[in-house]
Amino acid sequence: MTINVALAYPPPPKATLAAFTKSTGIRVNYSYIQWDSLQTKIAAAAEAHTYFADVTDVDWSKVGEYYETKWFLPLNKYFNLASVRANYPQVDSFIRNGKLIGMPADISLMVTDVNVKDFAKAGITKMPTTFSQYVADLKTLQAKGVAAHPLDIPFAAAEGLSTYWYELTAAFGGRVLSPSYKPEFTSPSSPGYKAMAWMVAAYKEGLVPKANLGLIDYQGFTQDMATNKTASVFSDYSGDIGTIYDVPSSSKVVGQVQYIPTPGLSGPAPNLANPDGIGIPVEAKNVKAAVEFIKWFDEPANQADFAGAHGGAKAVEGFPLPANKQGLALLVASHKVPGAAALASLAEHHSRAVFPGGAPPWYPAFSHAVYTNLHSAAAGQESVASAIKAIAAQVASLGG
Amino acid sequence: MVAPLVVFIGALAIYPTILTVLEAFEHIDPLTPPNHFVGLGNFSQVFADPQVRQSIENTGWYALFGVVLTLALGTGIALLLHRPFRGRGVVLAIVILPWALPSVVEGVIWSWIYNPNFGVLNSVLKTLHVISHYQLFIGTHEIQTILLISLVQVWQITPLAALLVLAALQSIPDELYEGARVDGCSWAQETVRITLPLVRPALAIAAAEALVMSINIFDQVYVLNAAATTGSSLMSTTYFITFQNLNFGQGYALSLFATVATILLSLIILKFVYKKVEYQ
Repeated sequence: MTINVALAYPPPPKATLAAFTKSTGIRVNYSYIQWDSLQTKIAAAAEAHTYFADVTDVDWSKVGEYYETKWFLPLNKYFNLASVRANYPQVDSFIRNGKLIGMPADISLMVTDVNVKDFAKAGITKMPTTFSQYVADLKTLQAKGVAAHPLDIPFAAAEGLSTYWYELTAAFGGRVLSPSYKPEFTSPSSPGYKAMAWMVAAYKEGLVPKANLGLIDYQGFTQDMATNKTASVFSDYSGDIGTIYDVPSSSKVVGQVQYIPTPGLSGPAPNLANPDGIGIPVEAKNVKAAVEFIKWFDEPANQADFAGAHGGAKAVEGFPLPANKQGLALLVASHKVPGAAALASLAEHHSRAVFPGGAPPWYPAFSHAVYTNLHSAAAGQESVASAIKAIAAQVASLGG
Repeated sequence: MVAPLVVFIGALAIYPTILTVLEAFEHIDPLTPPNHFVGLGNFSQVFADPQVRQSIENTGWYALFGVVLTLALGTGIALLLHRPFRGRGVVLAIVILPWALPSVVEGVIWSWIYNPNFGVLNSVLKTLHVISHYQLFIGTHEIQTILLISLVQVWQITPLAALLVLAALQSIPDELYEGARVDGCSWAQETVRITLPLVRPALAIAAAEALVMSINIFDQVYVLNAAATTGSSLMSTTYFITFQNLNFGQGYALSLFATVATILLSLIILKFVYKKVEYQ
């Protein structure tokens, strides 16, 4: 039996997949498809009621959509929900109204990192624990000429900008939407409003490089942080130290960047979850084999290997952190991945779903409104008040 | 003999087109089922959306820049290549190169050229003292953004226009020019009074081609300016409505609008620019 698997990760090593085939008799035809393109393929195939793959990506942001459209099989029949809840720190992002739309495939969270060498050059040796101290430190870096524009915010109109706003809103002590998906950012005194106003001001006042108006998240990490143009990312992706900043061939800051607990109003802020999941489309041809594959993919030892517990030979490029606690423990114990212990601790103790009841079904349209308007506000094409109003109007039109 | 071709075109072009036309008048949104007939409802909703209207206006600019620049550059290159010179074959091959590249690749190449941190354009302008510090070219001013994105597409489609015009130039009999020279015509007069009128069929086809490509511009917009409304095109907006918002009915309506607009504008170009040319 052969199953088709389409994911946004590069495939696991051949030997690893061969071991799965040997133990189960299931052959895997693995397609690695870029994330955006994969989402389009999933939607097009599902709307056409056409078979596309037996196992594919279920991003946290799509859970509400898939719940409403019924494009994916709920996995409650195959996985014990209580056990999954106990072992997977970010599973909340994949459950809506009790239905498990996808299994977590990894742990990913928004984290703050700083270039400690730059901070030391500016005389800062104690890392900031509050947001006000963090901002003061960034201004010190600027004032002492260590970095002309020390903060990286990717202001291109793309998903990474929305995520940055959610994380900053959480650090300001709030959330963007209520559990019933009503806007909680419309009042100027709300954390969401303040967070957006702060981001736009940070850009206009020069804390952020002007060029960032055209940079998406990944470009910001590689062109700003990795080249030592900026000294901190407030909302970075977990794993970027190992996969970007500590890569000698492409980074000028090897060994200089560290994760710190995200500074909040009066102490560590939540780190919003940004995980990918895997699920089974309703048009799948081999559901039983697909379930076997998901169970195998989520085995703690495999998860730890994908994240680099046994070095590059068994790793999956770009894989962030193991999805479950056992996998995380194996990874930390291996001492092979820089910052893994710090990230595991953040994942277990500070991680929070962006939408604890699952993303709203209209999340993509909401996020589109967020990043286009936030981008326009930074570009000076509209005010923060008008951007907030436009986003709230979009939520209302979507039924939020 | 033609049966396979008919089946191929029928399955991949005619059948999807008919479906698109029919479904443009239906509510098709998997988030709010069921599907049902809504008449012109999809059209009234999309045209009431300020982002759609903005993208239509932007697309008008893309079409204007695309057609004018492609024709001007294509004709200029063709006139230069028409005259024999050493290495003409090599130059012709280099000129054709951008046409062979996928649009996404071109978008990526030009994103490095326009890069505000280390782009070639910034470097050249600074070296020439045109700018004092590196600039952000894309995203700050609407028309500038559209023009710069449009240039990327012009770079891609100009070779086709140049080849079409060059082929037409090469079919003009030399006697016409010899006669003109005897009558004392300058090169400029020859170009305006003989060359351009006789290459009108090629110019019309090149203009129509540039128009179709410009109205359908997507890859370059997406790669260079993401989803920003400053440079959004009709096709990028259609993509977001269809595959991001999952409103397939509205997406089909916009696709149908783009198709009809393309056909009508192409017919207008052909009517006013095309003129049959025959040599005895």
